[in-house]
Amino acid sequence: MIKYTIRRCLQAIPVLILITILLFFMMHAQGNPADRFAQNPKVTTAQIAAFEHRWGLDQPLPIQYCDWLGVCGDKGAINVLPAALGGGDNGILHGDLGYSTYDGLPVVDIIAQRALPTIILMGTAYIIWLTLAILLGVYAAVKRYSLFDSGLTVFNYVGYSLPTFWLGLMLITFLAVPPLRWFPASGMNDAYTTPGFGTDAYWAFVGANPFFALFDLGRHLVLPVITLVLVSIAGDSRFVRSSMLDALNQDYVKTARAKGVPERRVILRHALRNALLPVVTNIGLELPILFSGAIVTETIFGWPGMGRQLIDSLGHADYPVLMGVLLITSAFVVLANLLADIMYAVVDPRVKYD
Amino acid sequence: MDLLSAPEPLDSQADFEVALVSLNQWQLAWRRFRRHKLALFGAALFLTMVAISVFGPFLLPYDPLYVPPIEHLCAGSASLPAYNGCPPLTPGHPLGTEGGGLGLDLLTVVVNGGRISLLIGVGSSIFAAILGTVVGGLAGYFGGWVDTIFMRIVDVLLSLPILIVITVFAKAFGLGDWRIILLVFAALSWPGLARLVRSLFLTLRTEVFVDAARAVGVSDRRIIFRHILPNAISPIIVSTTLSIAAIIVTEAFVDFLGYGVDPSKQPTWGNILTRAQDAIVYGNWWWGLFPGVAIVLTVLGINFMGDGLRDALDPRSRA
Repeated sequence: MIKYTIRRCLQAIPVLILITILLFFMMHAQGNPADRFAQNPKVTTAQIAAFEHRWGLDQPLPIQYCDWLGVCGDKGAINVLPAALGGGDNGILHGDLGYSTYDGLPVVDIIAQRALPTIILMGTAYIIWLTLAILLGVYAAVKRYSLFDSGLTVFNYVGYSLPTFWLGLMLITFLAVPPLRWFPASGMNDAYTTPGFGTDAYWAFVGANPFFALFDLGRHLVLPVITLVLVSIAGDSRFVRSSMLDALNQDYVKTARAKGVPERRVILRHALRNALLPVVTNIGLELPILFSGAIVTETIFGWPGMGRQLIDSLGHADYPVLMGVLLITSAFVVLANLLADIMYAVVDPRVKYD
Repeated sequence: MDLLSAPEPLDSQADFEVALVSLNQWQLAWRRFRRHKLALFGAALFLTMVAISVFGPFLLPYDPLYVPPIEHLCAGSASLPAYNGCPPLTPGHPLGTEGGGLGLDLLTVVVNGGRISLLIGVGSSIFAAILGTVVGGLAGYFGGWVDTIFMRIVDVLLSLPILIVITVFAKAFGLGDWRIILLVFAALSWPGLARLVRSLFLTLRTEVFVDAARAVGVSDRRIIFRHILPNAISPIIVSTTLSIAAIIVTEAFVDFLGYGVDPSKQPTWGNILTRAQDAIVYGNWWWGLFPGVAIVLTVLGINFMGDGLRDALDPRSRA
């Protein structure tokens, strides 16, 4: 078991290195950030050259990659020590993701600022949809082939087939603009009454009016969360349903029924507990899908999270930010997959460790 | 070696029998598919959307890029009349027209948009299916370092938000040309299938019939294509069908962001929505609704069909 865990962790290292290589060359395909000055007659060639030199854009590609990674120290020395052991503070290996070429802010600060909105949105949506998926899936499995079961199947198909961004647009069209205007169409808080999310002024405002701020945030959460829940619930409720059906057919369920255990207890204590195991291990594997959904939803609803930042940075050809955000999110995914695999091995001792 | 190469005719006879059995399998599968009401409905829905997109443009009076003269615009009562199109059921424009000062007929644009959207969905799914089968097959059959290298690449591509990777490449190389966008989608949509095919090949290569084929000296290529692949084809077909739906949705989003197909060259369901987004505030709900309904109907049809195919081709996997 420990051997398996270690081997699985070691496997993640080449994946992470390959991710950095792919990201670096992917972002380079976006063109030179200095190109946006090319059309500007007031910017001289010398100034462009200075800009390129300042951000290291005049270096050969492998050197730029090495610098970004932080492995190449001064004078060509190889430097893989972590920052705490005197490895310096340059490059992603030492926690320095560089600076935005768009507004000059450190990428780490941008990510730190954008992480909380994404966590709030994804977390709320995920809790709601997982709860609903378990309730619906279990009920459909217990009432198999009933009207409810078929209804859920059709609902699942439709939900699964809705493009996330279009669903968001339609919710805005019909619920956020005149004549209805029930919910705000974009942002995280009311721009007229509340300072921008994450600023010091915002936290001061939250301290002064906690209930208003929470209500305001909740109001802005409604449409994005509905979007994410509707498109994502389908897969999970089907998964819960089939997992629950498997559990209900097991011998121990029959035994429990034969012993005269009340049906409610059979379902909740005997079947559900076992049916939820694969659902729990599936959580880690769903993270990339969840994040893709968040990118789309944040873009449509102007939610100031990491997904929206990705799309904005893409528009600005701001590749340090793009690389930083993608690196952090994909590292999370690799980690989540790792945990899912290990958890699966812990939960199900029959899994072979190779 | 002479002894081993001798029973060559026996091998081709065996292949003949495999082909005969698989023919029956297809007939059985078709019978199961036919009984599946939802799947038949899905197939009909999908084929209808394809037929509308292929033949529709010939039947409609307008060119998708034709801008009607200014007197054909429906001046709205809202504060910004230039943004208003005609609502649905206007004479001559059953789905209404686009606003934004252009006034294109929405039905024409949606029908023409289907061509490119479906072409990219189907085309890149087929390319990706070939790529994924080759990569997964090689990795699963040969194992070793081939497997390690291919599967690490698959791991990398599956742990990145593929939506952003596709958008980045579409923006960098696409130049609004739908053929390049198709290739970008093909080049990045294969990893899931490769992982599936690899696991199928890993199980199938230990089967007795593969050992038997190898024992009589059948070449690797022949074992892969004639002995293993026919046994792995069902999940590949199902997965490819479902990936058409996924690609149509993703491609629509890339177009919506403005990094996909150039709207001044070809309308697609995605790039109509880019323009429609501005009109939402002016109450032009039909502009965004109909292209999306077209996407939903197509994707719903494909998903029904794909699940029916799964039940028909691989009855054991029924959930």
